[in-house]
Amino acid sequence: MESFIFALFNGVLYGMLLFMLASGLTLIFSMMGVLNFAHASFFMLGAYFAYSISTYVGFWPALIVAPLIVGVVGALVERYGLRPVHSYGHVAELLFTFGIAYVIEEIVKMIWGQVPVPYDIPESLNFTLFAWAGLDYSAYRVFMLLVSVGIFVALFALLTKTRIGLIIRAAVSDPTHVATLGHDVPTIFMWTFGFGCALAGVAGVLGGNVLGTEPAMALQLGPIVFVVIVVGGLGSLGGALIAALLIGIIQTMAIFYDFGINAALLAVGIEIDAAGMFRDFARITTAQASPVIPYLLLVLMLIFRPRGMFGTRDV
Amino acid sequence: MKFRGIAAFLLILVPFGFASVVAKAEDTVKIGLIEPFSGPIAAVGRDTLEGFEYYADYVNARGGVLGGRQIEIVPLDNAMNAEKTTQQLRKAIDDGIRFVSQGVGSNHALNIIKFLGKHNRRNPDESILFLNHSAVTTSFTNELCSFWHVRFDANVDMKVAALATQIGRDPSVSKLYMLNQNYAYGQAFQSAAQQFLGERAPNVELVGDELIVPFGKVLDFTPYIAKIKASGADTVLTGNWGPDLVRFVKAAAASGLQTPFYTIYGGLPSSIAGFGGKDGVAVGIKQITEMHENDANFNGTPEFEEMNNGWTEYSGKSMYSERLGWVVLMFAMAVDKAGTDDPAAVAAAFEGLTYEGPGGAVTIRAEDHQAHFPMVISTMSDQVERPFLYNNESFGVGWQTDAWVTADELTLPTTCDMKRP
Repeated sequence: MESFIFALFNGVLYGMLLFMLASGLTLIFSMMGVLNFAHASFFMLGAYFAYSISTYVGFWPALIVAPLIVGVVGALVERYGLRPVHSYGHVAELLFTFGIAYVIEEIVKMIWGQVPVPYDIPESLNFTLFAWAGLDYSAYRVFMLLVSVGIFVALFALLTKTRIGLIIRAAVSDPTHVATLGHDVPTIFMWTFGFGCALAGVAGVLGGNVLGTEPAMALQLGPIVFVVIVVGGLGSLGGALIAALLIGIIQTMAIFYDFGINAALLAVGIEIDAAGMFRDFARITTAQASPVIPYLLLVLMLIFRPRGMFGTRDV
Repeated sequence: MKFRGIAAFLLILVPFGFASVVAKAEDTVKIGLIEPFSGPIAAVGRDTLEGFEYYADYVNARGGVLGGRQIEIVPLDNAMNAEKTTQQLRKAIDDGIRFVSQGVGSNHALNIIKFLGKHNRRNPDESILFLNHSAVTTSFTNELCSFWHVRFDANVDMKVAALATQIGRDPSVSKLYMLNQNYAYGQAFQSAAQQFLGERAPNVELVGDELIVPFGKVLDFTPYIAKIKASGADTVLTGNWGPDLVRFVKAAAASGLQTPFYTIYGGLPSSIAGFGGKDGVAVGIKQITEMHENDANFNGTPEFEEMNNGWTEYSGKSMYSERLGWVVLMFAMAVDKAGTDDPAAVAAAFEGLTYEGPGGAVTIRAEDHQAHFPMVISTMSDQVERPFLYNNESFGVGWQTDAWVTADELTLPTTCDMKRP
């Protein structure tokens, strides 16, 4: 039982990291409906800015300044790139952000080089807070968890309890009505996009030193954040949180309780030719399959419930 | 209009640029270096080119080859696309280049070996010799072996055999956990390790043997660290590289795992930069290489010291791949031994050729064209005389020798049945 709770705890830690990565995209993709393929690139920018800033003034100012810069970059991208493209529909937007992702990657390579940069966990949080089952948990991991929870609470409050949130949601579903009421809808979209990018920046500052800060990180992390959003359901912040936790826990459990496909099939009475044709298949274990699980979940979700777990509209 | 003027001026300059290259290149001995100079891992390609150029300059400054001819390195970009490697090889052949080198990515090397197998049979007068500096798939010097291929790096089996030899000798290892990437290389590492650990470290118990989905798909390694902890392992053996190594090491350091990691690629500049020197030292990263700068053998000989200091001055980097030097220096030896730059004669001259490197003799075995040399296993430390430099920045850590594994211990039987022309 203890090992189960231990695995659950690790799954939650990982799941909240996933939620943090995806939180800005919830805003941009689920609220604005923009397929921002470059989301992970803004995440990468956050990590690189944080690395550069922290070499001069330390981690804490970087945690504030880096997301702000990323947010401004995001707002500028929306104002001068995405907005003109917006009227041509989602495909044009997708292609545009697809291009932006590559442009950002090349710029990052030009400025910071091809080799990973040594962006490290801040000394002030690099101590063991507690140990469980022989593993140390640093204050930094717990801090990440807290920030992630903080992002959820703040976003939830912003969207549901404030006037700004009301206007944003109204601007998505009824842009002309909102404009008629005297709100500047394009500017709302610009700042929403910028805010979403800033959230990606926060995730970059906090996640970059755990996942490794290198030019390829954006391409690696891009798909998983989309999975979280789509499985959770478009337009649902709570859905994204639950999807992130679900994916985190399932993946962690799959590695913890590692069993082979063959053993599982035998347990339910199916015998396959484990030495012959299905040799490679029979050798697969749940741990090896764990990185595929989110994508499997995505595919199944799109087939059986295209709007995701808590979605309010179809993809 | 002004812009057009500048463009036209530049266009006029282009042919002159080419003309001067051609004039210079006329009686050089050319080595075409096919590597990624663009794309995600261009840094590796550029570092390789820098190494080749440095050693070519070194040889050229000392009189070149064949009584005064210069060695010229011709970079050919494959953008890490194996299909492009073949295209660049064709281009090299069209340009009259008779020697090509490559090493980043075994699938690329495989394309070159296969292509040259056909090309050299059909065009015996235009045969090409492949100098493989780092592609480590063992079969290239076993069932796929070719007269037209010379390998300067130890293959996977040799490296794993060396690691297993040292693990067997290390009294602190009794329970070993193995984690590898689930693709051709990682599986080859795994099966070689299973074999050699049984032969060379019979007292070591393998308490875990894991394959992961490769290339950065695993974001969180903490569950693996928990499994290692639960298995009671005191040492980890991994062939991982790239983000799969970086995140593994970072997770181990963050969780306070106190088990040294035996690795092949822990010392790659991108690895150290990725996980950081502090985490590397905390975990106890070990690597296997042909040499490292803090080894006692390294500093004794003035010739090597001069060569190495020159390299660091030239590139702002510490030596990582000693063997890049061997490729060029032994190539020069082979050309001089053959007395001609005919690839067939040079390939034959490589057989049994010996170069006295800082770690001991490097010999190209005649049966399979595989280089044999002693290798050193070292541990990352922040208490070293020469910390590792990359682009004039110190990582603050370097390597300390654990032990050497002799060339004899690395010599494995080959199944190569070489067809000589």
